[in-house]
Amino acid sequence: MEFPLVKAISQNPFYVLGVGAESSRQDIEREGQKLLSMLALDIAESRTYATPLGDQPRTPELVRSSMAELRNPSRRLLHEILATLPSSLISPEQDERWRKAPSAFGYGPDRDRET
Amino acid sequence: MSDRPLFLGIDLGTTNSAASMFDGTQIHPVRTPQGTTLTPSIVRIDRSGTVTVGAKARRMLDSDSDNVRGEFKRLMGTGQSIAFPASGNSLRPQELSAEILKSLRADVREQFGFDPARAVISAPALFELPQSLATSEAARLAGFERVELIQEPIASALAAGWTTNDAAGSWMVYDLGGGTFDCSLLETRDGLLRVVGHDGDNFLGGRDFDWVLVDFVLQQLSTSHSRIFRRSDQKLAAAIRKLKPAVEDCRIELTRARHTNLTIPNVAFGEDVLDVDMVLAQEDLERLCVPLVDRSIAVCMRLLKEHGLNPSQISRMVLVGGPTVMPIVRRRLSDALGISFAEGLDPMTLVAQGAALYAASANLDARPADTKPKEAGRRVWLQYPAMTSDLTPYIAGRLSDDPGPRPVSVCVQNESWKSAEVPVSADGTFVIPVEVRPHQTNELSLIGTGSNGKSVTLVPSKLTIVHGMTLSDPPLSRAIGVALASDRTQVYLERGCPLPARRTFRHEAVETVIKGDPQSVLRIPIVQGEYVRAHQCRLVGSLEIRGTQLTANIPAGSFIEVTLEVDRGGRLSAQALTSAGQVFEEITRLLVPDIQPDALEGALRDARSRLASLYAKAFVKKTAENTAELGGVELSLAEVERDTAAARGGDADAAQKAKRRLLDIDAELDRLEQNATLPELEVQARIEVSQALSLVSMYGSPSDRVLLNEAVAALQQAREARQVMELQLRIAQIRDLASAAYFKNPEAWNHQFNYAASRIDACRDLPTARKLVAMGREAMTRGDRETVAYCTEELWKLLPIDAQRKQMGHNSGLR
Repeated sequence: MEFPLVKAISQNPFYVLGVGAESSRQDIEREGQKLLSMLALDIAESRTYATPLGDQPRTPELVRSSMAELRNPSRRLLHEILATLPSSLISPEQDERWRKAPSAFGYGPDRDRET
Repeated sequence: MSDRPLFLGIDLGTTNSAASMFDGTQIHPVRTPQGTTLTPSIVRIDRSGTVTVGAKARRMLDSDSDNVRGEFKRLMGTGQSIAFPASGNSLRPQELSAEILKSLRADVREQFGFDPARAVISAPALFELPQSLATSEAARLAGFERVELIQEPIASALAAGWTTNDAAGSWMVYDLGGGTFDCSLLETRDGLLRVVGHDGDNFLGGRDFDWVLVDFVLQQLSTSHSRIFRRSDQKLAAAIRKLKPAVEDCRIELTRARHTNLTIPNVAFGEDVLDVDMVLAQEDLERLCVPLVDRSIAVCMRLLKEHGLNPSQISRMVLVGGPTVMPIVRRRLSDALGISFAEGLDPMTLVAQGAALYAASANLDARPADTKPKEAGRRVWLQYPAMTSDLTPYIAGRLSDDPGPRPVSVCVQNESWKSAEVPVSADGTFVIPVEVRPHQTNELSLIGTGSNGKSVTLVPSKLTIVHGMTLSDPPLSRAIGVALASDRTQVYLERGCPLPARRTFRHEAVETVIKGDPQSVLRIPIVQGEYVRAHQCRLVGSLEIRGTQLTANIPAGSFIEVTLEVDRGGRLSAQALTSAGQVFEEITRLLVPDIQPDALEGALRDARSRLASLYAKAFVKKTAENTAELGGVELSLAEVERDTAAARGGDADAAQKAKRRLLDIDAELDRLEQNATLPELEVQARIEVSQALSLVSMYGSPSDRVLLNEAVAALQQAREARQVMELQLRIAQIRDLASAAYFKNPEAWNHQFNYAASRIDACRDLPTARKLVAMGREAMTRGDRETVAYCTEELWKLLPIDAQRKQMGHNSGLR
């Protein structure tokens, strides 16, 4: 099970789309469309995105749902608050350990895995 | 044929169909040989098997009503076949729709000089998956290589937004078609159209207006001929088929005239041959239609309420569909909502225009591939928005691995502008920012430069980007999920989630599926609807894993990973992966089941008895608020009764309508019954909260305590708002938290193990269960908690799922 706050940070639409919280709607749509095009062609730099909890895998579904979230003004406001955290609170070395932590503690993949 | 892309949009309507072609600048209506923009959705098959479509078929209604059929759209997705007695043929609704589409394709060929290969077809927003699938099949049968579906209200809004200059703000699209009603809330900003939400009624349309008028005519005939004429009388079926189109013509005439004559000579009402000759008044029509119009207004109000809006916040209303030209519709809408209507739009072809615009944004060129000139050079896969509201979009590309000259950089240009040279990365990919001219079709050339500085021809070398209003990803109209054996729904894709969407969840098999055994089946029912209980949702498809298809057994308790995917047009695909790595993808084509009038009457009796019991309770408790809600259910039941009577007369569509309404009534009665249980639920909530507080304070972590506090606060809110379903969800959440804390108790697994062991006689595989009990007991004595937990979980898998619940969960084989 993933805690809601962790998910709210790791899948924050601003991080997913790689744009700042002050971005205009046009900027967000442009970046989203660009990422969808890049993902469709499997272009390497589109595959992951940076968050305060380390790099996360990016999928077309995540990009689409992020764009939809930010089109809704009240939802956007919520995400803006969390997106003010710097996108790398963790150093690359720590990040590696952080990623390995679940298996070190004996936890496998989530039972309800979302892709 | 045009050397520029052409985009075809089709409105496949219940009563009429239309097509439009967008050339990147203008939208052209596709005309029939008679010069009109509408093709009646009517098919005739004569004695020799010759198929006639549209206006010509409609003209034969008087003389050959048995072999002329329409309104088959409302039967899409059902197994119902429609008979043409003269030729002895029986066609499915999608085959008849294919005939309409073939006729529209022929009109395109006549006007544009080619057979269109790709198109966008509109479908009602609340079409369920079997209906969408049937629409796609109709297109395939008509000869289209590829089609995408678009929801009708989105198409209307797209067309309205494209043709209107001042497009910013919130809109409501009121789409009252021949057979369905859709209401959508949309918002336009910065050239982007967003669907805020939608609602509708799959069984409300112009056809219902016609039927109330037919009933009125029958009533008049009954009075004048001292004999009872009813739609439910099967002997009158042929007469009613003849009466209906004439009544429809009168209804259309009455939108302009105060009175009109209904004159049909020699109509055989069973053995009596009568001349129908009467005067119909606009006043009568309006009086009869008011309840139907009000039903549509109630849907609009419900949609506004759901989104916390009031009518004054909506800047305009787009009217779509033939019945919206009726003065009574416009008057009642104005009185009830007061939203100004968008002017200058053709309500009959707006949907087709929007579908054509959407074809452009989906880059679905209608021209057949083989007529396009062949190019030589390095192939490149491009991704870009074919239609965009952005003046500086991006083009992404990947070079093929073909031998031959390879560019090191690429650029894009048109006659007045050239982009910067963008280097091609080592893996052959590139991303170029481009500039497009506003409100124009932008033709761009893609140019590659080799390491020697010479140009490298790329294929394709040209691309087109149209600047204009675009559509954000359409939202899913109803939640889609998988029914579990416990009669619960595992929601995969929530209502409103942007399409396309894909999601995977992992489940467990309830029972073992044996390799090679033809009787052994694991069923994964796919359901659509917002209800927590699976039996209240509509079963729309099923993945079946049969023993005969297996390469290895699927043991009970082993994992099954299920993925559901829905594309932008609402088409579903599903995949199940077994623990042995076998993949199953074929969804059993589900048809909306045939419904017998006897079954409907039985369900109607049950609903009436539940309603009576709720009335009795409301009377005892003197709850006026409940009585009003029960009155609403009673009105719906009266409507179902009328439809059931029509179903007895052979009207398959009325049977489907009655069945769907009964499902909604069932859910509504459940809700009202649950409301009646609110006091009991509150008692249960108090018990669960006190247990959870005790367990979490003893064994829980600080974060468990925070979560419990949040859940209790939400529960309190649900109690105050008297939201039964929310209350049930919160109780379940609190129970889960209590359970999580409980399992942190060192003795918890021992208690659970002892309880599971005490039920060993009920286990499916007794020898395995005995081994597990022995193993668990031994582990308990040596304090091995991990093994005790393992044995307990394995024993749980061997214990049976309640058979009744499994049946209610559409016989799901998953937990």
